[in-house]
Amino acid sequence: MSQTTTERPAGKRPTSALGRAADWADERYTASRFVRSSLNKVFPDNWSFMMGEIALYSFIILILTGTYLAFFFDPSMTEVRYDGSYSLLRGVEMSRAYDSTLNISFDVRGGLLMRQIHHWSALLFVAAMVAHMLRVFFTGGFRKPREVNWLLGVGLLTFGILEGFAGYSLPDDLLSGTGLRIAYAIILSIPVVGTWLAFGLFGSEFPGVDILPRLYIVHVLLIPGIILAFIAVHVGLVVLQKHTQFPGPGRREDNVVGERMYPLYGAKGGGFFFLIFGVTAALAGLFQINPIWLYGPYNPAQVSSGSQPDWYMGFLDGSTRIFPAWEIRFWNYTISPLIWPTVVLPGILFTLLALYPFIEARMTKDRSVHHLLQRPRDVPVRTSLGAMALAFYFVLLISGGNDIIADKFDISLNAMTWIGRISIIVLPPLAYSATYLLCLGLQRHDREVLEHGVETGIIKRLPSGEFIEVHQPLGPVDEHGHGELEYAGAPVPKRMNRITNPGRKAIGFLKQVPDPGDGPDLGTEAGETDQEAGQLAGRPKNPD
Amino acid sequence: MTDAVRPPSTREQFDQPGEIDLETYRDLTLEEQAALGTELDGVQIVHRRERFPVPGTKAERRAERAVAACFVLAFLAAVAFVVCYVVLPWQYDINSKSYTWFTPVLGVTMALSLFGFGIGAILWAKLLITEEETVQERHSGRSTPEARATTAAVLTDGITMTGLPRRSLLQRVLGLSVLALGALAIVPLGGLIKKPRDALFVTGWSTGVRLMTGDRRLVRPGDIEAGGIETVFPATPDGLSTQVVADSVVLLIRLRPGQTVRARPGQQDFGWEDYLAYSKICTHAGCPASLYEQQTGRLLCPCHQSQFDLLQDAQPVFGPAARPLPKLAITVDDEGYFVAKGDFTEPIGPSFWERK
Amino acid sequence: MTERPSTTKGRRARSRMRRRITGALALAAALGSVGVAYATVAAAATPKAQTVAAANAPANGPVDVRKGRQLYETSCITCHGQNLQGVLDRGPSLIGVGAASVYFQVSTGRMPATQQGAQVPQKKPRFDDSETRQIAAYVQSVGGGPEIPTGDLRGSDANLAEGGELFRLNCASCHNFAGRGGALSAGKYAPSLEGASDTVLWTAMLSGPQNMPVFSDNQLTTEQKQAITNYIQTLKAQKDPGGSSIGRLGPVPEGLVIWVVGIGAIMLMILWIGAKS
Repeated sequence: MSQTTTERPAGKRPTSALGRAADWADERYTASRFVRSSLNKVFPDNWSFMMGEIALYSFIILILTGTYLAFFFDPSMTEVRYDGSYSLLRGVEMSRAYDSTLNISFDVRGGLLMRQIHHWSALLFVAAMVAHMLRVFFTGGFRKPREVNWLLGVGLLTFGILEGFAGYSLPDDLLSGTGLRIAYAIILSIPVVGTWLAFGLFGSEFPGVDILPRLYIVHVLLIPGIILAFIAVHVGLVVLQKHTQFPGPGRREDNVVGERMYPLYGAKGGGFFFLIFGVTAALAGLFQINPIWLYGPYNPAQVSSGSQPDWYMGFLDGSTRIFPAWEIRFWNYTISPLIWPTVVLPGILFTLLALYPFIEARMTKDRSVHHLLQRPRDVPVRTSLGAMALAFYFVLLISGGNDIIADKFDISLNAMTWIGRISIIVLPPLAYSATYLLCLGLQRHDREVLEHGVETGIIKRLPSGEFIEVHQPLGPVDEHGHGELEYAGAPVPKRMNRITNPGRKAIGFLKQVPDPGDGPDLGTEAGETDQEAGQLAGRPKNPD
Repeated sequence: MTDAVRPPSTREQFDQPGEIDLETYRDLTLEEQAALGTELDGVQIVHRRERFPVPGTKAERRAERAVAACFVLAFLAAVAFVVCYVVLPWQYDINSKSYTWFTPVLGVTMALSLFGFGIGAILWAKLLITEEETVQERHSGRSTPEARATTAAVLTDGITMTGLPRRSLLQRVLGLSVLALGALAIVPLGGLIKKPRDALFVTGWSTGVRLMTGDRRLVRPGDIEAGGIETVFPATPDGLSTQVVADSVVLLIRLRPGQTVRARPGQQDFGWEDYLAYSKICTHAGCPASLYEQQTGRLLCPCHQSQFDLLQDAQPVFGPAARPLPKLAITVDDEGYFVAKGDFTEPIGPSFWERK
Repeated sequence: MTERPSTTKGRRARSRMRRRITGALALAAALGSVGVAYATVAAAATPKAQTVAAANAPANGPVDVRKGRQLYETSCITCHGQNLQGVLDRGPSLIGVGAASVYFQVSTGRMPATQQGAQVPQKKPRFDDSETRQIAAYVQSVGGGPEIPTGDLRGSDANLAEGGELFRLNCASCHNFAGRGGALSAGKYAPSLEGASDTVLWTAMLSGPQNMPVFSDNQLTTEQKQAITNYIQTLKAQKDPGGSSIGRLGPVPEGLVIWVVGIGAIMLMILWIGAKS
C-alpha cells in the first residue's frame, strides 16, 4: 500500500524549527483544523475570475504607497511662498498642500515615483473593479445567494470613486481645484438644503480653509476604513459561499472544481500580486501622471483648456457637458440645471446597478440558488441590457473629453456636444438590438454544432458527384446522423483542435501544448515525443 | 499518468469524519495522508500528476532553470534599483536633463524585479508544481432542520428570559430611549453647520472700489486694446486673496469698433463707453469663463462648454449654462481709473435654491 | 543546441512557429515602411519652426517697402483690397494691424489663406523671412500698428515664476496649461504653441490674430511679455521627470493609458496564467 514509510507520528513533538513554531501556535490557538481547511479551499481556475484580484492587489499597493506619501504631505490650506527646487514656481504663492506635493515630487528622493505608483494604482483600482463587475454581471454571478456580495461590490465601486476624487483633490493644483469648485456648485444645486450642505462641508463660502484637511481625513481614514471593511466581508463571503464556476465536465451546483489554495492557487495568486505591482511600477516609470507642477497652484481666476477629472469621474463630466440648460425657476427659488446630470443621474444609475439582482430575480421569477455561471449568450436579455448600459456609459465618458477630441481631431466643439446629445438617445437601443441578435445567433450556432458536428474543413466528393463538407460529430448520433447531446451551458467546441478541451483553457500560450489525445506524455517537451502522424488529434474519426 | 490518488480503503475504516486511526495513518504515504486530510475538508483530489515523473530529464532541468532565472532577474533588478536610487542624479535642475532619468529608471528596475518574482512564482506553478484537479463539496442552502430549530429555540428562549414580551412599560421606554441614543450620535455633527447667510449674495465689490490687475496695477481706459480682455480684481488689500478672488474676479472687456451690446433691461448704463465688466465665474458650475473670442464676441467656459454672447450682454447661447454672467456696473473716477459703481446686482456663479 | 527530431509533429510545430515569426516580421516591416513614408511626407508638409535666431535678427539694412508692396499686390490684394481696406466676405481690413500681425500670419503660413473656414490653419509658409518682413513693412507703412519686436524677447530666468502666473491667468484657458492648444466654439481653436518661436509668440500677443484677444503693451508690459515667452519656451524645452508626458493633456490620455496599456497588459498576463501548460 505505501511505497515509502514516513515517520509522521501524530502526537509526538516536532523537532524542526518550523514544526516547533507551528506547535507553539497550535498550543495557543488550536488552529490546526482551521489552517488545514483554509489551505484546502478549492478555487475554480477560469481566467476571468482573476479580475477581482487586480482590484484587491491595487488596493494593497495604494495603502502601502499612500502611507509613504502621508509622511510627507500636509493638507493645510495656509498660503506659503514656494521655496523648493522647481524654479518655475519659486516665489509663487500657494497652499501648503500644493507646496508639500511639490516637495514630494522634487525634493524627496524617489517621491515622484511613489506619487506616480499611487496615482496609477488608483486608476487601476477602479478600472479593475469595473472589469470585475462586468464579468460578474454578464455571467450572472450576482444571483442568489450572492446578492449581498453584489451590493458590497457596488458599494466598493462607489467608495473607490469617491476616494479617488478626494485623493486627487488633495494636492490643490489648478486642475483638481477646478474640480472642487464644480463639486461645490453641485452641492449648492441641491434644492432646499444645498447651500447649508455646501457651507457645512466647506466651512464657509468656497473655498474656505477647511475642505482640504477634511478631504484628507476622508481619504486616509474614513473611506479606507470603509473599503477595508467591505473588502473583508466581500472576500469573506466568497470564501464562505465558495466561488462560482462555469458549467462543464464534472461541474455541478453542489461542487467546486479547481485547484486548492495551497500550493497551486496561492502560488499563482501571490505571483499575480507581484505582476500587478510590477505593471503599476512600470506605468509609474514610463508614463507621467498628474504633473501638478505643470498645472500650477489652484487659483479661482485661472483655468486650463481641456480640464477633465480622472477617468472614473469622466462620465459625470460628460453628462454635465451634454445636458441642456434646463433651469427651473419659480417664486423666489431656483433649481439649477446642474443637479440633473450630476446628482440625479448617477443616483439613478447606481441605484439601478445596486438593485439589479433583485430586479432580475423578480422579472425572471427565479428563486433558486445558483452556483453555476451562465455564458452571456445564454441570457440575451441581460447581456443586451448590459450592452445598452455600456453604450450609455461610453457616450458619457467620451463626451467628458469632447473638447480634447474636438481639438485633436478637427471636429467642431459644438458638433461634439450635439453628437453626445443625440448618441445618448440613439446608441443604447441600437446596442441592445445588435447584442440581442448576436446572442441569439451564437446560441443557434451552438445548437447547430451539437446537432451536426464540427466542421472539419475537409471536402469530400460523393459518388453521386455532390460535394459535402465532412463534419465530426461530438457524440452519439441518431439514425438521421443528428447529434443527441443536449446543450449544457458549457462552451461547445467549434474547431477540431478544441474537441477535448472545449475553450476552458487556452491550449498553451507561448508554445503549443500537446493534445492529450496524442498518447501518454512522458514529461518531455512538446514536439519531442515520438508520435506517429495521423493520430487522433486533428483528424476526423470516420468521414462517412 | 498516475491515477487519482485515493487511499483505497482508508476512508471506510473511519467511523466518523475527524477521527483517524493513527495506526493505519502511519502506514500511509505522505501523499495519501494529505489526501486523507483534504477529504476531511470535503475535498477530493480527482487528478494529480507529477510534471516530471521521470527525474533528471532535460525538460525538467530547463523548467527549473527558467524559474530560477526569474528569481535571479528579480534579485539583479532589485540590486539595480538600489544602486540607481543611491547613485543617479535626481534633484531638479533647470539647466540639466539628467535628473529626468531617475523616476523612469527606478520604475523600470522595480517593475523588472517585481515581474521576476511574479513570473517566477507563476512559472513554478505552471511548470514544476504537481498538477492537480480537485473537487470540493458545497454545503450551501439552508442549515439542517435541527440547527435551525434549535437556533430559533435558543433565540426565543432568550427573549423570554429577558421578560421583555410581558413588560410593556419597558417596551415603551426602550423605544423612546433608543431614539435619544441616535440623537447623541448625530447632534454633535451640528458643529459642522454654518449658516449661509448673505455670503452668496455679496462679493468683494462695492461702490468706489477700483479695478486692479493681478500685479496690483490700477486700470485706466486705454490700457486694453479694442478686442482685448483683462482679468481684474477689487483694489482692496485682500483683493488678490483666494477667498476674495473666488467670487469677485471680473473680466474687463473692450469691444471692437462696430460691436454693440444689447443690454439687459436696467443694465444699459453698466458699461463705460466700449468697456464692459462681467463676473468671470461661470453661472453653470463656477469655473472661470475666460476663453474670449474677440471676433464673435463669445466667451467660452472650458469646463462644460457653456458659451456666453457678450454682444447680447453675456446671454448663454450654447451649452448647459442657464443664466447670463452678472454684469458689474463700472465707471471712471476723477483720476481716470476704472471704479465699480456698486456690488453685483445678483448673486454670481452657479445657481442655488435661494436664488430668485 | 538540442537535437531536433524529424517527427511530423515536431516539424509541424516548428513550421507553425516559423510561419508565426515570419508573419510577425512581415507585418512589422510593412507597418514600419508605412510609418516611415508617412513621417517623411508629414515632415515635408508641416511648417518648419522658425529658429529663434532667424526670427529675432532684424533684417540687414532698411527693409524694402516697395518689394513688400509688390508681394502684397501679387498675393494679398485679392482678399485685402488695393488700399488694405479689406474685401467684403473675403478678408478684413489691414489698416492698423501693424507689421506684427503680418509677421505672425505670414511666417506661420496662415496667410495667404487658401480657403475660407471657421479658422485659418497653420501651414507651410509661402514666403521666407525677408519677404515676410518686406510685406510687413509695407502694411505698417500704410496703416501703422504694432511693430515686430526686436532685441531680448525672453529676459532673465528670474522672471520664470511670474511668467508662469501670467501664462496661467491669460493664456492657459485657451492654449492649455502646457501650451498644447485647445478647442474654441464651433470649429475654432487655440493652436498648440509647440512650433512657435519667440517672435511668433510676441507678435501673436501684440496683434491678437483671429479670435485671440489683443494684449497691448499697456496691458502686458514688455517685461511681462518677456516673462510669458520665457516661461513658454522653457516649459517646452523641459523634459518630463516622470516618464513620457503622453501629450501634456491631462487625465484623458492617462485614462486611455490605464485601460489600453494597464488593463491590456494585465489581461495578457491573466490569459497566460490561466492557460493550460
